[in-house]
Amino acid sequence: MPAPAALVTTGLSKSYRTGHIIQGRRPALQDLDLEVQRGEIFGYVGPNGSGKTTTLKLLTGLLKPDRGDARVLGEPLAARSWRFRAGYLPEHPYLYDYLTAAEYLDYAGRLFGLPASRRREKTRELLALVGLERSANVPLRRFSKGMVQRAGLAQALVNDPELVILDEPMSGLDPIGRRLVRDLILGLRRAGKTVFFSTHILSDAETLCDRVGVLRAGRLVRVGTLGELLRLDVQHMEVLVSGLAPDAPGPWARRCESVGERLRLEVDERDLGRALAAVEAAGGRILSVQPVRQTLEDYFFREMGAAAGGASAWGEG
Amino acid sequence: MSRLVAVAANTFRETVRERVLYNLVFFAILMTLSGLLLGQLSIRQDEKILKDIGLAAMDLFGTLIAIFIGTGLVSKEIERRSLYPLLAKPLTRGEFFLGKFAGLAFTLLVNVAVMTAGLALTLLATGRRPALALLGAVYPILLGLLLVVAFAMLFSTQTSAALAAVLTVGVVVAGRFADVVRNMREVAPDVPPWLAEGLYAVLPNFQNFDFKDKVAYGDPVPGGVLAWVTIYGVVWIAIVLCLGLVSFRSRDFQ
Repeated sequence: MPAPAALVTTGLSKSYRTGHIIQGRRPALQDLDLEVQRGEIFGYVGPNGSGKTTTLKLLTGLLKPDRGDARVLGEPLAARSWRFRAGYLPEHPYLYDYLTAAEYLDYAGRLFGLPASRRREKTRELLALVGLERSANVPLRRFSKGMVQRAGLAQALVNDPELVILDEPMSGLDPIGRRLVRDLILGLRRAGKTVFFSTHILSDAETLCDRVGVLRAGRLVRVGTLGELLRLDVQHMEVLVSGLAPDAPGPWARRCESVGERLRLEVDERDLGRALAAVEAAGGRILSVQPVRQTLEDYFFREMGAAAGGASAWGEG
Repeated sequence: MSRLVAVAANTFRETVRERVLYNLVFFAILMTLSGLLLGQLSIRQDEKILKDIGLAAMDLFGTLIAIFIGTGLVSKEIERRSLYPLLAKPLTRGEFFLGKFAGLAFTLLVNVAVMTAGLALTLLATGRRPALALLGAVYPILLGLLLVVAFAMLFSTQTSAALAAVLTVGVVVAGRFADVVRNMREVAPDVPPWLAEGLYAVLPNFQNFDFKDKVAYGDPVPGGVLAWVTIYGVVWIAIVLCLGLVSFRSRDFQ
């Protein structure tokens, strides 16, 4: 018998109370039907207030659903047993600043009932994994935001979980930290784990995810692989040239944009040959030619339209 | 149970790393030592004054520790969201809440033990033999402090640490004047009897934990009385903790 899905939600809904005197309710998540398969990396994306964090809090028991149900690793949401097999990193984690990183991981291990020797071993292993082995005995209050994020990630893995739920795991990380987390997530998949993570950094979702769920205003609007969501065929070619005046490109350039002393040209794939010949004939130098496919970001701006409100709309959800 | 103990042990570690604890213990020791000076100013009352001041310091500073650390135990966890990764683990809210209580209770036990030892040493230093009867006042003080912690934690499940501290101080002050509340009709005859009785019923009578005068005068506290105080304290603590638990379990962490 195949193992049940890592995560299944059925009609999961949550609303928040608004106002003090005259109370109303604002829906935060409506009728979420979602299935995350074992061993996949599932990206949960959407603009501000779309319900991403609400979903993750419902799954981890920090919020109680108004209605609907969920099964995690084949067990009912309310059961305690699946929690032994899952890990969670909240958004902007705050870990006890009076503890050192090693003490915090030891404490997290105790909550899973791990014996002392296993906790010591796991602490060493995880601190090395997130690049904090040299800061093991430094109080968390002296950690930078990125270091706290990495320590938070380590505590989510202390029980060697089958399912890892991460809320904005790249938040607050520098490029090195982001690369580290990306590699770590890919490593988890290689080890057969399931990763369910929310993000507003679309390039991360695009790089990592097997499937993506798109959330808008508390509703799941699309679920699918990147291939299903995006047009993966080449949209146009991007040609970077130097040594040309901005008005030099001919009619074969759909768009022309100055980038310092260079020009970035947008050219139809079928016009590429003529365009390159024309650039050389005009005395220009071709620096690069790249095919441009639709990105997840393009998809979002198309799908969300005015509702997303532009790039500023991205953030916590 | 092992998870509850883990939370309690971590809470104990948290409280002993709090600077406020050491400040309060320092002032409590200072106050006990000041009894030495005051004792010399009195005639044949020095032992009573030493015990009076020592026990009062234990009670006062213990209450301050219970309020200021107790109110932060849960509310700060909620405000800072540090409990999020913990509650996603196989740790129930009940284990978390009761573990926090047990951790601070242990801190208070250690604190009261240290202050009792300090008082006994002060008595020894002045040539008096500290009697075991001193514990007849110390033990009820500890029970009272645990009840203060329970109230502080109850309020902190739904409000900020500051507001929880104000509410806890209110309960402690009202509870220390519970007899006045019960007999308020003597000074305000218009107050309906049900109101006075009702108020008295919902307030713990903190005077029931106060045997300082008795012990300072050298009177022993009978075992039967201590047993009654134990039952009274434990029942109150259990009721308040249950209310806190219900409140904590019902809340959403947005």
